[in-house]
Formats: sequence, C-alpha cells, structure tokens
Amino acid sequence: MKKSFKAIIQAIIVIMALLTVAAWHTSNAAAADTSLQRVKQRGELIVVTSPDYPPYEFMVNENGKSKMVGMDIDVAKKVAKDLHVKLVMKSMNFDSLLVAIQTGKADMAIGGINPTNERRQSVDFSKIYYSGGQSFLINSKDVNKYKSAKNLKGATIGAQTGTLQYGLAKKRIPNSTVKGMDKSTDLVLALKTNKIDALGIEKPTAEAYVKNDPTLKMISSGYNLNKNDVGAAMAFKKGSGSLVNAVNKSVDQIQKKHLTDKYLAAAGKYMKVNTVNTSMFHYWTYFAKGVEYTLLISLVSTFFGVVLGVILALMRFSKQKWVRGLAISYTEFIRGTPLMVQVMFVYFGIGVVINIPALISGMIAVSLNSGAYVAEIIRGGINSVATGQTEAAESLGLTKRDMMQYVVLPQAFRNIWPALGNEFISLIKESSIVSIIGVTDLIYQLNIVRADTYRGVIPIFVAMVLYFIMTFALTRILNHYEGKMKHAG
Amino acid sequence: MQDKKVIEVNHLSKKFGETDVLKDINGTVKSGQVICVIGPSGAGKSTFLRCLNLLEKPTSGEVKFDGTDLTHVSSKQLLDLRERMGMVFQSFNLFPNMTVLKNLMLAPIRVKHMSEAEAEKTAIALLDRVGLKEKANAYPSSLSGGQQQRVAIARALAMNPEVMLFDEPTSALDPEMVGEVLEVMQELANEGMTMVVVTHEMGFAKSVADEVWFMADGYILERSSPDDMFEHPKNDRAKDFIGKIIGSV
Repeated sequence: MKKSFKAIIQAIIVIMALLTVAAWHTSNAAAADTSLQRVKQRGELIVVTSPDYPPYEFMVNENGKSKMVGMDIDVAKKVAKDLHVKLVMKSMNFDSLLVAIQTGKADMAIGGINPTNERRQSVDFSKIYYSGGQSFLINSKDVNKYKSAKNLKGATIGAQTGTLQYGLAKKRIPNSTVKGMDKSTDLVLALKTNKIDALGIEKPTAEAYVKNDPTLKMISSGYNLNKNDVGAAMAFKKGSGSLVNAVNKSVDQIQKKHLTDKYLAAAGKYMKVNTVNTSMFHYWTYFAKGVEYTLLISLVSTFFGVVLGVILALMRFSKQKWVRGLAISYTEFIRGTPLMVQVMFVYFGIGVVINIPALISGMIAVSLNSGAYVAEIIRGGINSVATGQTEAAESLGLTKRDMMQYVVLPQAFRNIWPALGNEFISLIKESSIVSIIGVTDLIYQLNIVRADTYRGVIPIFVAMVLYFIMTFALTRILNHYEGKMKHAG
Repeated sequence: MQDKKVIEVNHLSKKFGETDVLKDINGTVKSGQVICVIGPSGAGKSTFLRCLNLLEKPTSGEVKFDGTDLTHVSSKQLLDLRERMGMVFQSFNLFPNMTVLKNLMLAPIRVKHMSEAEAEKTAIALLDRVGLKEKANAYPSSLSGGQQQRVAIARALAMNPEVMLFDEPTSALDPEMVGEVLEVMQELANEGMTMVVVTHEMGFAKSVADEVWFMADGYILERSSPDDMFEHPKNDRAKDFIGKIIGSV
C-alpha cells in the first residue's frame, strides 16, 4: 500500500522515544487499557493523516478555503460519529504517522496504511476497511507495448521507496530494474518524462491519475496477494484494545453497507473540484500560507539561534572547564546529527513528556540547531577582534562583561556579518525540514498543491521562485546593514 | 608629595615559554616623575611597561601600585587599580565601532558610573585640550594616526589616572605627525603627571624626562638623568646604543 516506514528513521525515533519515556512507559505498561475511556472523556478523537494522497486524503480548495477530504476522512468521520465524539484531524508527513500515535500525539492514524506483520509489532490495527489492489500506471503511448503486467519483463519500474509495491516489483517482475522515490507525485513525473516505463501503485490512486491525465493508462498488476498486504486499516498505539474494538464496529458497518464506494465517489467529485482550475494562481493561498510559516519559523529561529549562539560562544571563553566542555559538546553533538532527526526528537521524543505543538517544536529544533552554527561563527568573530582592543579595554578598567558588550561583540558582529547572513539564508531553506512533522511551511504546501492538481513541475517552479524572492530580499537587507556598519567603522 | 612612591617594582621577571624576557627588574617611580625607558629592540621595554598594569602577568617578583602588590590581588581589585593607571599603545587601539566622543565616554560611564552628561562634558574638555574638539562625532577610521593617538591619550585621561603609561606612542606614526603627539605629552608632563614612557624619541627623553632608564637583554643596565645618559653614559651597552642613535641623527 502506501509508503511504509523507513527503517532507519523509525529505529532512531523509537530509540529516542524509548530513552525519554523508558521510566514512564514501564510504570504504565501493566496499567489497564484506558484508550477508549480517554477518548470519551476528552470528547474528541484525534486522528493524524498525511493529506497528499488522493483519493484517500487530500486538501481541496473550495471557494478559497482549504479543506481536508477523501475516503479516509469520511471513514474517520464515521468512526468519530459512532463513538459520539468530535473528530479532530491533524496533518503530518506519512513517515511520522505511526510515531505520532506511539508517542500519544494522536489516538489514531489513518492514511491507506496496510497492516503488515512488521507494523503489527509496533502498533495495533483495526480491521481492514478497504482493499484497493495493485496496478501499474503506464504512458498512453505504450499501451500496445505493455498490454499486461507480463510485458513488463525487463522494464524499469518505479515505486515508492520501502513500500509493498517496491518489494513486489522487485520479486515478481522478472529482470526488472526498480527505481524508488519518496513521493508518488515525483514518480508520476518520472513516468511522464520516460525515466521509468511503469509505476507500481495502488488501484484507487492509479484510477485517479488516469481520470485526470489522458496521457496515462492503467494496467492490472496480476499479483495474487494476501489481504493484509493490500488492505487499509487504522493504526493505534499498542495496548489500545478497547478503542480498537469500538472502531471495529464502525468498520463492520462500513464493510456491510459498502460505504467506501460512496466515499470514493465523493472523493472523486472533490478531485474534479481541484482539477477544474489547476493554475498556480488559483492556489495562491496555499503558497501564501507556506511562505508565512517558512518566514515565521526562520525569523523566530534566527532570533533565538543568535541568542543561543552568543551564549554558547561566550561559554567557550569561560574560565570554568565544565562550562567550556558543555558548550563544545553541545555544538559538536548538534552539528553531528541531522536537523531532520532533531526536529523529530523535539516533537516526538520530548513531546512525550511535554506536549509541544508541531510549529513550536519545529521552531525549537531549528533554533537549537542554528544556535550551534551561529556559536561557531561568533567564536570566530570574537577571535578576529584584535588583541589591542581587549588590552585597551582592560587598561581602562572595563569588566570582562562590559568589554564583550561594548567593544568585542560589536566588532565581532561586523566581521562575521557575511557569514551570519549565509547562516540566515540557509535557515530559510533548511527550515523546510519541519514539513515532516506537519508544519505547513512552503515545502509542505508545495506537496499538497502537487498532489491536488496532478501537476508535477509547475508547483516546484513556483516554490523555487518564492524561496528565491525570500532569500534575495534577505540578502538585500543584510547588505544594507553591512553597508551601514562599514560607514560606522 | 614629590617623594611618594607611585610604582615600585621588586625582582620582577617574566618568561615567555623558555625565553627570559625580563630578569630581576627593580625600580621606583615617584609621584610627578617622568621616566623614559630606552634601549634596543628586544630589550623587554614593552613587556616591562605591560607588567606595570598587569597586561602581562609577571612570572615572579612584585609590582606595587600605591603600596598594593598587583600580582596578589583579586581580579576585581585589579580593575579598580587599573582604572587609576592610563595606558597609551603604539597602535592607538581606539574602538572603531564608536565615535571619538563615545570612545572617551565609555569607561567613565561604565567604570566610574559617571552620568552621561558629565562624561560628555569631561570628554569634550579633554578633546579640546588635545586640539580635536571638532572631531568628537567622527569615527576613528577617519582620523590621521597622530589624531588617533591624541584621542587615545584623551581617552586614558578621561579616567583621571594617577599614572600614564606610554608604550612607544609615536612609533607607528608618520614622521610629520610625531610632533603633535609629543607636544601633548610634554604638556601633560609640565602639568605634573606621573609618566612612564617607552620611546625611541631621544629628543623628547632629553627634554622631558626626569630619569632615563636604559634596558637591554631583560635588565635595566643604567638609570641616570637625561644629561648623564646622553652625554656620559657609563654602561658599555648604553654607550654603544646612544652612540648609534646620536650618530644616525
């Protein structure tokens, strides 16, 4: 089914989550299952999904307002209604869905997740509410070449990395070369630009593409598959038996009344709404929101990054060995681990102890990260100030603090201004990583627009231009201040 | 008052790694005295001067200022004592991020807790004294070397010090600017300021100094009046040095 977890990321997240919650977890493991009770008491069912996957879940642009719709959303609505609670939807990158429920960020995850045995070891699943089946997308011009999956022998096949489709193509299509990518939108683009011959994808999604793009055709996969490998189920934290049982009652009704057919039809209508007008201008509110969040995160993180960087840099000049050691370890550790992991650690790891919203988590992680880099830049800047300056300050009887504040740091900042500018510019670009925890920054919004409009390239171009406008504006501002400081010197 | 010992140095030595830069230096500077320290380069003159306000930490020996041994005080006390000693550097070391006026006002406000208005008044008066009142709002980089050094002297004077230490104040200047700086220093000496001046300006030493100390190889080899030093040096190294200097002029 949909993309499965990247093993490495999951391992790191789980280890970090375990580290933080080990004590908490062991003391609660034997406790009674209160999952259903908790949801009822709260009066809300918090469901997490990744709305970039029509027809399962996607954003629709209706009268200028964006709304999350799709078959899975209808399933979640039905579940919440049957439980007599309010439905609260949270969006997040697919990679992070299972971690979100494991760490208690949400009660339930939905999103075309197939309940494989591997996943069953870490989370509980409801009954399967929908079985999609597998198929291949091909270019229309190739219909005669690839009449059925048998003709794909020796072809280059694309699939989402780590998914079922990826494994199946490798195992079942003889002599094939399988190319993996992260997003189905990218894969469709690869198909259309002939980088791959066929794209292994599940049937409802393939149907959606074929309906919206005449240059694509669908052929059946011809795979014989076990139900667990093709069905979609809802995921819950381990030990949520009472909640799973309650949800299964809704699943039974959905199966009996064939409600998914109705839901899919509704989703299809929404998809037409989306594709009526696929001009980027029509989606400007999406991009505007993305720019807003990207700027917000960058500005806040720049501010706190500089504050932290100054503190860390000054700690490096402390007389106390342990203070210096602390600053060095922090800097080395932060620089030695990827920002992506830090973002997930703050949101999921620390989030278990204190529940921090995604946006704040993103800002914290990016600030902490930037602080380490800024600290090194400032340290270099402080070292670049001539010793004569500190000697003059000392001979006047200035305290170390005053010397730093009035003499050294102002000069250091002037010397490092270009390097700091680089750091701020890369912050705007690197902050895009927060999209994995569902912060609606420009990258996140870009992927939503791509999924909604079935247009692979134009949204990327728009985002590229927007990023450039932001960084270019920042460069102009920085140059302006650099000029001012030069004048003062 | 004339006999009050302001600075007293006993058995001062300083090593940089394995190199002995200063070896058993002794000396006394009395209130109102102007001491000029001369000698070949590498003699340890600057290091000696920098030991007087502990910019260099002596390896052994004591440096007494107004009776207090600076080598055995807390860093807080050291700050208090340092503000009573002004220092002027070869390379001026004005703060380039501040205007001339702010350069003069910083320490009085931060260290002496003077009010902004009072500090500004004092600063303007001092700038007037060194002939640079009109440069109050200029940045140091727009001044000539001679002007910068005069501002540096004014900055040190703004703290109303009891002693002024000069570390080759004219060595980094173009020849035509040396005069204006020496003039300011001469006035200062005439007003009775206690001064220790490391210099290569023999004319200045001759006319202003009360005592000239000749240093070579980390020792003070001779100390005498300017007349004796320049006319009848006793030490052979001093003779040699003075001979070369006079010969070259």
